[in-house]
Amino acid sequence: MDVIYGLIPGMLLLGLLMVGIFFWACKTGQYDDMDGEASRILQDDDD
Amino acid sequence: MNRTASHCYHCHQIVPKQLAVTAEINEQQQLFCCSGCVAVCQTIHVSGLESFYQHIPNVDSLSPPAQNDLTDLESFDLESVQADFVIENDETKQAILLIEGIHCSACVWLIERALNKMPGVQQAIVNLTQKRLKVVWLKNQCVLSDIILQCRQLGYDALPYQSSTALDQYNQSKSNLLYRLGFAGFTMMNLLWISIALYSGADQGEYRYFLQWIAMALATPTLLYSGWPFLSGAYRSIKQGYAGMDVPIAIGALATYLYSAYITLSQSQTGEVYFDTVVNFIFVILIGRYLESVSKYKAVNATQRLLDLQPKIANVIEQNGEIVVKPVKALVLGEVVRIKPGEKIPVDGCVVDGMTEVDESMLTGETNLVGKIIKDDVFAGTLNGAGSIDVKVNGLLTKTVLGKIIQLVESAQMTKAPIQCTTDKIVPWFVLITLSLSMMTFIYWSSVGFESALLAAVSVLIITCPCAFGLATPMSIAVASGVASVHGILIKNGAVFEQLSSIKNIVFDKTGTLTQGKIEVKEMVLVDDCDYSQETLLKWLATLESRSEHPVANAILNELKKQSLELEANISGFDYFPGQGVAGVIDGQSVMAGQIQWLRNKKINIDSLLENKAEKYQEQGYSSLFLAVNENIVALFVLFDPLKSDAKSTINTLKKMGFNISLLSGDRYSTVQSVAIQLGGLEAFAEVLPQQKYQIIQQFQQSQKTVIMVGDGINDAPALIMADIGIAIGSGTDISIESADIVLTHDKLEQIIQSIELSRQCLRTIHQNIIISILYNIIMVPLAMMAFVTPLVAAITMPISSLLVIMNASRLRIKKGKN
Repeated sequence: MDVIYGLIPGMLLLGLLMVGIFFWACKTGQYDDMDGEASRILQDDDD
Repeated sequence: MNRTASHCYHCHQIVPKQLAVTAEINEQQQLFCCSGCVAVCQTIHVSGLESFYQHIPNVDSLSPPAQNDLTDLESFDLESVQADFVIENDETKQAILLIEGIHCSACVWLIERALNKMPGVQQAIVNLTQKRLKVVWLKNQCVLSDIILQCRQLGYDALPYQSSTALDQYNQSKSNLLYRLGFAGFTMMNLLWISIALYSGADQGEYRYFLQWIAMALATPTLLYSGWPFLSGAYRSIKQGYAGMDVPIAIGALATYLYSAYITLSQSQTGEVYFDTVVNFIFVILIGRYLESVSKYKAVNATQRLLDLQPKIANVIEQNGEIVVKPVKALVLGEVVRIKPGEKIPVDGCVVDGMTEVDESMLTGETNLVGKIIKDDVFAGTLNGAGSIDVKVNGLLTKTVLGKIIQLVESAQMTKAPIQCTTDKIVPWFVLITLSLSMMTFIYWSSVGFESALLAAVSVLIITCPCAFGLATPMSIAVASGVASVHGILIKNGAVFEQLSSIKNIVFDKTGTLTQGKIEVKEMVLVDDCDYSQETLLKWLATLESRSEHPVANAILNELKKQSLELEANISGFDYFPGQGVAGVIDGQSVMAGQIQWLRNKKINIDSLLENKAEKYQEQGYSSLFLAVNENIVALFVLFDPLKSDAKSTINTLKKMGFNISLLSGDRYSTVQSVAIQLGGLEAFAEVLPQQKYQIIQQFQQSQKTVIMVGDGINDAPALIMADIGIAIGSGTDISIESADIVLTHDKLEQIIQSIELSRQCLRTIHQNIIISILYNIIMVPLAMMAFVTPLVAAITMPISSLLVIMNASRLRIKKGKN
């Protein structure tokens, strides 16, 4: 069971990385337009 | 997509045959509702973007494009105008434009595609949520006015956007809360399974300290970072000597945290840690705070957007008669500005030359065009009709009527005292009792020893942890709001729900709220021994009116449709006199229609009997339109703004429920009085200016009465905020909807009664919940004071109390579901 001494800090680091990504996403405006981007991907570029 | 013949090819709205416009699209004749739609559709096809119509998710969502001004855009290319909003690089320029008229992702597609096809445009990205366009273009290949022109040709109005500090601040605090929420979410999820490990036996073995340390490592930054708003809020409110909801939250969180930290640091063998409780608690409450800040941001955004959409430039007539384009910011009071047909009026002012009709609906909610002649006042933000006028400036930017209303809205938002809900009233007592009980416990047990005294005192604080108490109101309101939204009632500020049933005064706005805001023909009175039949006269009048775009014209045309008559084709020499009347020659007869004063000036013979009748109708609140054929008055058309179908029954029910109802309107006294009488006699405030509406609500409040305000126009916005509860009718303007606490989306007045009934049930549930949490405390606190609460008991009873409250609240949904 001693593996948890490595796993738990590892999990926390991974989690912190996720939080970091979340902060970055907010800062760069990834959540600014929740409606437009969702449908933009469904629209063809050349018709 | 099936576009039938009786629907507009572009916007798919139903087109009356006689009003339809035809145009050739792809070598086929198509029907359109207006020339605006034709122009937009042709632009779309010429640009090769016709697959736009396949992208529209819901055909009904399109509406005819606004009548955009396509000339004089060059002024946007002036350095002085661009200085405020354009970022200049070596070869490119970048600007953010506000786009009006976007409804769906197909619009985004259309604008981006059309702009990217323009030579010189490097990047065009539309943000659908914020309705903004970011555009980058090459300086030497294209100009901003071309970009704006392209948007307008597609039927979207585009105006430069400048960020405002107030809005930025709200945005800042909103995203700040989101960061804190995100972090708390991360620690909460990790702590959950650490506590599962601890509860399921790990607290006995070798990993006990390791897991406790990890839990503390997670909880500490959560308390300090995510919990900071509560800690600082509690500190502020204690400093002001008032115990708000932040105080018990902070005390609960801090006490639980410090106790757990003590257990961890002292490496005690028996104590339990409750870091998970701290973090969960902070996370759940942060969600509520975040949602609250989102709705606040939206409200400020709507107000700001209104200001942003105001024209930024004006055509100034210089002393020497030359017309110069200037930014509105650079204007001075007393200068004369020319306003062209179809332009939005950029300033408040007094007409010095010309005549026109102005659409003031965005200010007053009144759909009738208002005639303007020399010496009349015009207001910034309203839309000029068919005439060109010169206006002497007497108000600019924030000093205009519109600016003042927006200021009123903002200041009312700030000064309005927060609603005291039941829990708010109990919280100070709750805090006081909890603190003194835990103090008593500490003093009592201190004879046994400092450590056990501290533990007992803290366990009192933990056990009273205001979870159940804090959830009592929000849970009930959340469930009730959910039930309400199913019925089309949106509760923006949940706390008002609790209040709704206790208020006894309701003030209704008249136009657009109780009445439909659309004119109809009530009656047609002919002179005695008239040479023409009623049908002929109606046909003639409709033919004349169909040439003008006045709302009265719509009323007449609808009447024509009701009687299933057709327009007369044979018309010549049409003339339109804004605010006064129309004239023309039909079937060789000279026909005129308009106000009596105007006809008298035109030397028409007036029938005194008809004039008397008109006066009588006017006393009852109807307006009148006279029709003259060959210089003789032949008919009187009685026009009125009909009540909404459920207005009378709603008012009656509300009266029976014991409400005191008043009517508020900017209209003439006789009109308002007649509506009040039709509704069975109400107290009526007539001829109230927009600013005064707000004052009337204040008068109520100064005499210690609480008020519900129901309204729809921008002019109602300050009153909606000032009132204890503002209810906006869904068909209203953005700003009134943002100012209100409750929005009725189905445009039905009956929903007011529904809301009140639901709020009564909600209040009952809140009271039950408070009783449950008090009962829980009455049982558990004495046990804690006696130091009988073992960690296991605490771990079981604390969630049970919260669960009870949540389950009781969800009964609200079941109960309502049965009805």
